This record gives sequence, C-alpha cells and structure tokens, in this order.
Amino acid sequence: MRLDRLFEAGKFVVTVEVEPPKGTRVSEMLERAESLRGLVDAINVTDQQSSVMRLGSLASCHLLKERGIEPVFQLTCRDRNRIALQSDLLSAWALGIENVLCLTGDHVSLGDHPQAKPVFDLDSVSLLWTARRLKEGYDLAGNPLQGSPDFCLGAVVTPEADPLEPQILKMERKIRAGAQFFQTQAVYDPKAYERFTREIEGLKAPILVGIIPLKSAKMARFMNENIAGIKVPDGVIAEMERAKTREERRRKSAEICARIVQAVRPHCQGIHLMPMGWEDLVPEILELAGINP
Amino acid sequence: MIGQTKKPLREILEFLEGKERVVIWGCGGCASVFGTGGRREVRQLAEALSQHGKEVVAAVGVPPGEFTCHAPSLWERLKGYKEELKACQAVVVLACGDGLQVLQETLEEGFGLSRPVYPGVNTQGLMGGGPVSFQEKCRQCGECLLGEFAGICPLTRCPKGLLNGPCGGAKDGKCEVDRGLDCAWLSIYQRLKVLGKLEGLTRAPLFKDYAKEKRPRSLKVGQEG
Ligand code: SF4
Ligand code: SF4
Repeated sequence: MRLDRLFEAGKFVVTVEVEPPKGTRVSEMLERAESLRGLVDAINVTDQQSSVMRLGSLASCHLLKERGIEPVFQLTCRDRNRIALQSDLLSAWALGIENVLCLTGDHVSLGDHPQAKPVFDLDSVSLLWTARRLKEGYDLAGNPLQGSPDFCLGAVVTPEADPLEPQILKMERKIRAGAQFFQTQAVYDPKAYERFTREIEGLKAPILVGIIPLKSAKMARFMNENIAGIKVPDGVIAEMERAKTREERRRKSAEICARIVQAVRPHCQGIHLMPMGWEDLVPEILELAGINP
Repeated sequence: MIGQTKKPLREILEFLEGKERVVIWGCGGCASVFGTGGRREVRQLAEALSQHGKEVVAAVGVPPGEFTCHAPSLWERLKGYKEELKACQAVVVLACGDGLQVLQETLEEGFGLSRPVYPGVNTQGLMGGGPVSFQEKCRQCGECLLGEFAGICPLTRCPKGLLNGPCGGAKDGKCEVDRGLDCAWLSIYQRLKVLGKLEGLTRAPLFKDYAKEKRPRSLKVGQEG
C-alpha cells in the first residue's frame, strides 16, 4: 500500500533501501527484495547512488511492483533536466509506481564517471514542486496533462545537520513545495533526534528515521569523519569494538539498531533501513525492536 | 576578470608541429593579471619556442590596460604587424578564448589573412580576488539572482548550483564535493540571517530560467534585458 495511506492508518511504517545492480542481472536485487516481503512496507530503490552508474531506479521499481512489492522510486536531479524528470515521473505513474522520493543527488565528481556533465537543472525542492504541479494536472510550463499522476511525495532531511537551522528551513520549504513524508539521514543518538523533533514541532509531516546497521567500529569512525550529519556516539563505537567475530558484530549491530528504533519510535512514524548489503539482518532488527509486520 | 591558466608548453609545441614561423600575441587585460599573457609571459614563450627551433617572427606583448578582446584597439595594434602576420605559419594567442576569436576574426576581416590560431591558455571563467589567488564568483547566467542570496552566487559557488537551500552534505562548513571549499550555502544562510532575511529560504522554490543562458549571446552597448 502507498505510504500516505499507511500513515493515515496510523501504521508504524518500515522501508528498506535496495540498490540496483551494475549490469542487467536483476536476480539478486529481486531476491533481496523478496526476502523482505511481508516484513517491510515498501522498498526504496536508489537512483545511481553516489553517482555510480547502475541499472535504473524506474525499471527496478517496475520489477518490484510487478511482483506486488511496494516501491519508493528515488529520483535525483543529477542526470536529467526538467523535461526528463517530468517524463520519468509520468512514466513511473503509468507503470503503477505511487511513492517518489525527490532528491537533488550527489555530484558526479564523487562517482565512477567524474567526467560526466552534471545536470542539476532542478533541485530537490523544485523537483517536489514540479511533481506537485503534475499532480494538479499541469506540467511545469503550465500545459494541461492528459491524465495526471497522484503521487505520494517524499523528501530527505538530516536531523543532526550542523548547523541545523538551514536544514530545518529547507525542510519547511520542501513541505511547502509538496513533500508528504521524510526519510532521514542515519540516526545513532536518539537524544539528538528528539532534540531535532522539538525544533520542528510546527512542521506536520511523517518522518521515517534512517537506520544504517554498523558493520564494524571502523565503519562508524569512517562515517563520523566523512559523512555529514552522521554522528555515531563513542559508546556505540565501543560496543562494536568489543564484538570480535563477524557473528558477534552482526548480533551487536542488530541490537544497536533495535535499541535506536525503540527509543525513537514515540517520536516518529516509522523507520527507513539502509542495510548496505546486510539485508539479511533486517528480520532480526525488526524482531528485536518488537516491530510486527 | 576572465580567469585563465597556462597551457603546458608540450601542448603548444604539438599545435606547432610542422610550422616554423610563429607570431605570439599577448593581452594587456586579464591575461596580464593572471600571469598567462602579459608582456613577460609573451617573452618567456618566445624564448621557449626559439629553444625548440621555432622562428618567432613577432612576440607582441600588449601594454597593461589594452584588451585583446576589444576589437577597435586590437585592430590599431594589428596594423603595425601586418608583414609579420603575413610571414608566419601560425599565431599563438596568450589571451582568453574570447580574445583569441576576436583576433582571428579581425585578422580575416581586416587583412583577409587566414592563419591557424592556437590558444596558449585555458580560459577558466569569471573570477574575482587577487593578487595571487582568485575564485570563480559568477558563471554569467544572464539573469542575476544575487539579490536573493545576500550577494553570494550559489549557481557558481555551490558545485550543484542549488537555488533552494543547502544540500546537507557540508561538513565542518566545508562543501561535500570539495572539502577545500567553504559551503556557499552556509555563507548565504549566515549573511541572510545577519540581514534579517531568512524567510526567503522557505518561500516557493526558485527555478533558473536557462533560456536566459541560451548560447551564443549577443548584445548592444546599453541594452536592457
Ligand atoms: S546569479 Fe547569474 S549573473 Fe548573478 S552572479 Fe550568479 S551566475 Fe552571475
Ligand atoms: S555542501 Fe554546500 S556548496 Fe557544497 S554542494 Fe552542498 S550546498 Fe552546495
């Protein structure tokens, strides 16, 4: 079921991110998605994440939809101008895709084709606005559409951005532009997330808190140093450090995730898991967190 | 000013393969400020080309303040070098891409001379600062939006050209695309805050009108639009 209906029904929503393959062999992506069937409400498909060229998000979402799995179509402004973005949105709707996550996208210089021309004709906010225009029956140029989509539109926010104020102003701007829900950057400190929710009290949009299972203490330190808005507390890093074997680390990682989920649960409408290859850990995380499908 | 860097000598020598008699033409405008085509650089290139066996029939250092891209003053100077230009097999221009093309057109239209014209610099865009380091400040979008951004251009100084707020990738104030750069959007936010104009950051999104950037552009002196 599309995400806005689930929010309306008061369901605690669980989404998981999967990444399309580099190449045409979709079987593994579909197996991963299949293994989550019944456990999660929807699957986000990334749009050439980190500017690494892959099979498309639109086609992948279609393959999921065909199998009865609810997709969230991630759409970035990096590779398409406003004509292509609108066209892909119409195409998505024609293929039965109802949830769209509107993103600016990473810069091409960070990916595997740094020579590519970055597009960024629109950005996350103007893309949301554009998608809403389509919902209202018009394209961006004001031309009436023959049949219009009725998307559930999402956006992202970083609860631990530093400074936070511009991030919140942008969140407000996204809501005004048409965002109906948010998925967040990974949260490791429920207290910090709670502070964020107090800052955004006036903003009424469901939030799915981002969860990335830690694979090791090293990964946590790497993210702290390199990824904006991710702050893994020292105590959590120490916990991961104490786990010696791979099995211990997986177990500990799931426990940490479950603990965060339980702590943020009263302050959000769901969670968004980004397992980055550890999809098979998702059932354990959900079970430990006490989330029943 | 038009920022520019020197092309490697190797590249210039490749252009000149099989061509022995060369004219070098500099610029007393931006190229002299950026140290790419002032009188000194013209002299240096002349020496280097001579060492590689080229006959430099003229090395034209243009006095400071005289812009090679300005056709009327260029034409006055060109007239004094007609014979050398006729005698040469190639011209190397130490000026921006604009200056080079004005020179080539003036040569053809003024003297009916067709000579291969090669760039000796790489043009990098509109830059401000100095005297030693410069930053790109404006990408000449054709419809200046600086009034919205407290005088800091996000189209140019944010690598993604975002118009509607920061991307969330800045870390310790540095841009996610290049950690050596300050995040332009944090500067915009801070200045808007000081000016008491933060409400602009929650308005309906801005869209860039790329029709205003349609190329090639032309204009008349004093034109509005
Ligand atoms: S808004 Fe356009 S004209 Fe103004 S500084 Fe930026 S690029 Fe230049
Ligand atoms: S970090 Fe700042 S300057 Fe860099 S891309 Fe993001 S918003 Fe633009």
